[in-house]
Amino acid sequence: MSVDPLIEVRGLTVAAGDRVILDDISLSLAPRAILGLIGESGSGKTVLAQALVNWLPAGLRITKGEIRYRGRDVLTLPRAEARRLRGREIGYVGANPAGALDPTLSVGSQLVEKLRAVEPGVSKQEARDRAIALLGAVHIPSPEMRFHEYPFQYSGGMMQRAMIVDAMISNPALLVADNITQPLDVTIGAQIIKLMRELTEQFDTAILFVSSSLPTVADLAGDILVLSNGAIVEHQPAPSLVATPRHPYTEKLIAELPTLWTDRGVGTPREHAPDAPAIMSIRQVSKTYEAAGKSPFGAKRRIQAVRNADFDVFEGENFGVVGESGCGKSTLMRLLTGLEPPDSGQVLFEGRDLAVQHGAALRATRQRLQLVLQDPYSSLPPQTSIGDIIAEPLHIHAIGGRRERRRRALDMMGEVGLARALYDELPAGLSAGQRQRVNVARAMILEPRLLIMDETLSALDQTEQAKLLDLFERLQAQHNFTYVFISHDIAMVRRVCGRIAVMYLGEVVELALNQRLFFDPGHPYSKALLSAAPTLEERRYRPEDCLLEGEPPSPIDLPPGCAFASRCPSAFARCRTENPPAFPRGHHDRAECFLLDPAHTSPLQKARPDA
Amino acid sequence: MTAEGMTTAAGAAADDDRTRSISRRIAAGAWASVEFKIGFFGFLGILLMALVWPEISALDPTAMNVRARQLPPLFLGEGWTWAHPLGTDQLGRDMLLRSLVGLRYSLLIGISTVLLMLAIGGLVGLFAGYRGGLTDTVLMRITDAQLSIPMIILAIAILGVARPTIPAIILVLGLSGWPVYARVMRSVVMAERKKEYVRGAKVLGASDTRIMFRMLLPLCLTPIAFVAVLDVARMMIFEAVLGFLGLGVQPPTPTFGNIIADGRKYLVNAWWIATMPGVFLFITLASLNLMGAALERSRNRVFGGVG
Amino acid sequence: MFVVTFLVRRLAQGAVIIFLVSFLIFTLLRVVPGDPVRLMAGGMAPEELIEQIAEDMGLRDPIPVQFARYMGGVIQGDLGQSFLRPASGAAVGGAQFDDATRAERAEVLTLIAETAPMTIQLALLSMVFALLIATPIGIAGGLYPGRWPDRLALYLGSLFVSLPNFWLGIVLVLLLSVKLGWLPAIGYGGFAWTILPALVLAIEIAPFILRTLTVSVAQVMQENYIAAATVRGLGRTRIVFAHALKNASVPLLNLLGVQFSLLLGGVLVIEFIFDYPGLGLLTINAVLQRDFPLIQGIAIVTSAAFVLINIIVDLAATAIDPRLDY
Repeated sequence: MSVDPLIEVRGLTVAAGDRVILDDISLSLAPRAILGLIGESGSGKTVLAQALVNWLPAGLRITKGEIRYRGRDVLTLPRAEARRLRGREIGYVGANPAGALDPTLSVGSQLVEKLRAVEPGVSKQEARDRAIALLGAVHIPSPEMRFHEYPFQYSGGMMQRAMIVDAMISNPALLVADNITQPLDVTIGAQIIKLMRELTEQFDTAILFVSSSLPTVADLAGDILVLSNGAIVEHQPAPSLVATPRHPYTEKLIAELPTLWTDRGVGTPREHAPDAPAIMSIRQVSKTYEAAGKSPFGAKRRIQAVRNADFDVFEGENFGVVGESGCGKSTLMRLLTGLEPPDSGQVLFEGRDLAVQHGAALRATRQRLQLVLQDPYSSLPPQTSIGDIIAEPLHIHAIGGRRERRRRALDMMGEVGLARALYDELPAGLSAGQRQRVNVARAMILEPRLLIMDETLSALDQTEQAKLLDLFERLQAQHNFTYVFISHDIAMVRRVCGRIAVMYLGEVVELALNQRLFFDPGHPYSKALLSAAPTLEERRYRPEDCLLEGEPPSPIDLPPGCAFASRCPSAFARCRTENPPAFPRGHHDRAECFLLDPAHTSPLQKARPDA
Repeated sequence: MTAEGMTTAAGAAADDDRTRSISRRIAAGAWASVEFKIGFFGFLGILLMALVWPEISALDPTAMNVRARQLPPLFLGEGWTWAHPLGTDQLGRDMLLRSLVGLRYSLLIGISTVLLMLAIGGLVGLFAGYRGGLTDTVLMRITDAQLSIPMIILAIAILGVARPTIPAIILVLGLSGWPVYARVMRSVVMAERKKEYVRGAKVLGASDTRIMFRMLLPLCLTPIAFVAVLDVARMMIFEAVLGFLGLGVQPPTPTFGNIIADGRKYLVNAWWIATMPGVFLFITLASLNLMGAALERSRNRVFGGVG
Repeated sequence: MFVVTFLVRRLAQGAVIIFLVSFLIFTLLRVVPGDPVRLMAGGMAPEELIEQIAEDMGLRDPIPVQFARYMGGVIQGDLGQSFLRPASGAAVGGAQFDDATRAERAEVLTLIAETAPMTIQLALLSMVFALLIATPIGIAGGLYPGRWPDRLALYLGSLFVSLPNFWLGIVLVLLLSVKLGWLPAIGYGGFAWTILPALVLAIEIAPFILRTLTVSVAQVMQENYIAAATVRGLGRTRIVFAHALKNASVPLLNLLGVQFSLLLGGVLVIEFIFDYPGLGLLTINAVLQRDFPLIQGIAIVTSAAFVLINIIVDLAATAIDPRLDY
């Protein structure tokens, strides 16, 4: 490289006691460049990001190597100077925006505080103006007003934008972005990535972009470093890294990535037989909650969590419900399992309404309708042994004697791949994957007919996911289960589900067969979701075309008309005044969008090749 | 932000730790600290003395001995004797023996009271936290009302008009002390109720009673019960206060409160009558409080990672 | 705007609490054995006279009727009259049954109003002492968990909380007042008489402040925003004073609300020992004399104070932490 590097790392080694966390890392970053750093959790990428700003957690020590910023050794700087350097010249944005600012002070005042701490000469007024200007630059709507709001009034995506402002407010030459899209929904994450690109162009900032998602890094970065077990195993420009990975680890990383459009021969998702009866029917179901802030006189604020959901789940199929946070999937799960009754409409299981069943009848129904929970950690009672957890359902339903229960629990453990020796252990020592197996075993021991999987695989890594999916398939073939997968992960749904319902702000906006949804989505939101999905494939839909700036509206005061209208590039006047009903698209498919109204013909629809 | 770093640094220790139940981790954590051991052995020693000495001693705690009146404790003042290590009172009764007998009552009342408080508070909190809604509102309003009357006013108001017998004292202290436990229990149960395994149990078909008493009660009550050691000490002070006001166990049975109240009249001539039982009580309470504080810290560490 | 609705809601809830307290105390006092009229009239009074007095005062009516009559007065600000105390002086004890002054018994409200300022003075001074002792050590303990300031906080807290207040009072009177003559102790003759009782009370309260502060500061120091503040370029002093302490003060405020009754309980005993003419001494004497209207009045006033203090505490906490918005 001809230009002097902005930051240069040579032979950096970090250790926790005797254990080496980072081993002999060297990298350099030119001004205005974007360098990607990819690695799994535990690879040491966060430690590397933190080492660059000289901010290692207690217990970690740099044992060798040097970090030079514009030629100066960062590690030997006096404390006060190092602090000024890291706030002013090098900005850092972390993965967890939610708790990154003091909850008791307004966002604006903390931005001002930060700028004045690293640049004491700046006046309050000046700092304020700069903060507001930057809040505008990161597309936070009405920045003057938002300046005075508190962190808890910001959504996750907005908070991440605010943290980017916080890092950028002193106009640093380098921004270290540590896994910043990880906690965000894919569509919000896509917006943040777009923002990062704008920032380098607008402010001449170099970015070290650390992430565990290869597609995200490949989208943004020029060069990519691959970090595995604390060592850099590969360094290539993004396109060639994806096309011709040299290191086996990178190859494995790419191979494991789920695909949306390329068929890798993983088998076709399970569809129901044409004459299969509906095992569960959701009829015009709605559920509203009252918001927490209550006052005796003020009008109650209502959150419309699920609005007029209506669909059937057929026996033997894999049905998917997909959507981002706040779309109502968790509420839908509670309605489907009968944990809560709907405000209106019916949830029919085997033809009978769940809400009217009580006592013994309900218990009998629950034997055939089971739920596998989301969080592998909070879903197991911490003080009960694994065997007892799995046998508990038999106990509750008074099935078999003590010995019979033990035998069945042990059999079940064998079926889901848990060692029999774990029978008397407490769940505390188990890995996330093992815990999910316990959950699965507990749900399956009653031999239910319908299993609802609520984000069951979300907390697991790719390899573990694949194993559990195989397990599900095998068990399904043996016992003829019906599965409902509720998930935010569109790639997982693509692989597993025959039919998919897409939810947005409480509504099922589209219901389609797997193939149809991915190659010919009927709703613009489905398209936006597909465009933002992390994949290395050639995209059928680009986020730039499918998604406008902005956040989903609050579920408390929903605008009239289509809920997606504010972010939809194809929205027109009618969408803002009238909520579209479901328009059939052949088979059982349908979507709630005026573009599909036979009375409406837009140029867009005509242009679509297969419409 | 430091999640990754933390796991790597603390990983090995935590893995080993996670396989044990929460109660055992709290107990082990407390045991590892110096202050717990000081408290534990101090308390054990005093407890043994209180249990054994009055049984084997030839003296009677209520027997007067006019010739041995107002003898000072060992090495202090004139006329001390090995027969009365803590001296004697205005009627020549042995102070050590009276203190030890007082301690027996004090411990009996302190421990029973805390058990009663735990039982009432735990149940009220469990129902309020689990049921929520109207049950919660009603129970919590009652709790608040109870909390707003200073416990001691309530206790002396009742004991002042009723006869202070030991069961009455336990009942009154226990009934006036439960609200704090109810509040804590309620908040713990409310947090726990939202966890997925409770939801899971419901889907499995478990009844509310089963979830409340088999799952939540043992889980939530244990950490609270550990810290109740601190309240045993507090209740012992209350018992002494009541005795001091003349509303505790009645003379001639010696209690810390009535010994000190009596001794107060002789403060200038025989200072030890009022002060020595206090020192004794103080040492007992300090051992209990050191144990309690160590347990509390250990619990906080287990739950919140704060040491 | 929300402050108004908040106040209305909390005051309404407070009224419910005070009502419950009144009912509880009122009923308790009437179901426990012991006839107050016997005390009022003196041991020598003939049975018929006692019955007549009781009849006159409505003490033989059903409890709900008595309670309704009493609450009717309370709503109009009338807490009734003391059974025993004359309106003029501070004479205590059973008067003669034919005593002419019995007609002019003291108003409960007046008695409380006369003694409350003394108690407030004592409580405030002890609060100042307690904060002076506990805040520096508590904060240091929270900033350096596991190190010596933390140990100091632990040991000091454990020792202080183990000192029975009445005993400590006696010992300090013996040492500082009787032996050394530094401070006046018994009765009240000016501000100096408040110092020693306030000190004893402060030592009783300090451990709770110490414990809460150590834990809350240590917890706040582990928050994400404290760690993040370093990498954002803020200095240590600023992080601790502008952010950590501000956040850690909320649990301390809540403690003051919840432990209000602890404070009052302490006041009671300490005023009794030091013969300090405040609300506490009034209470103890009222209880020992079975002066029902006075006990009831004090219970209502203290529970009202509890309600008010908790409202103030919550308002202050909301001002510090806007997430607590009601």
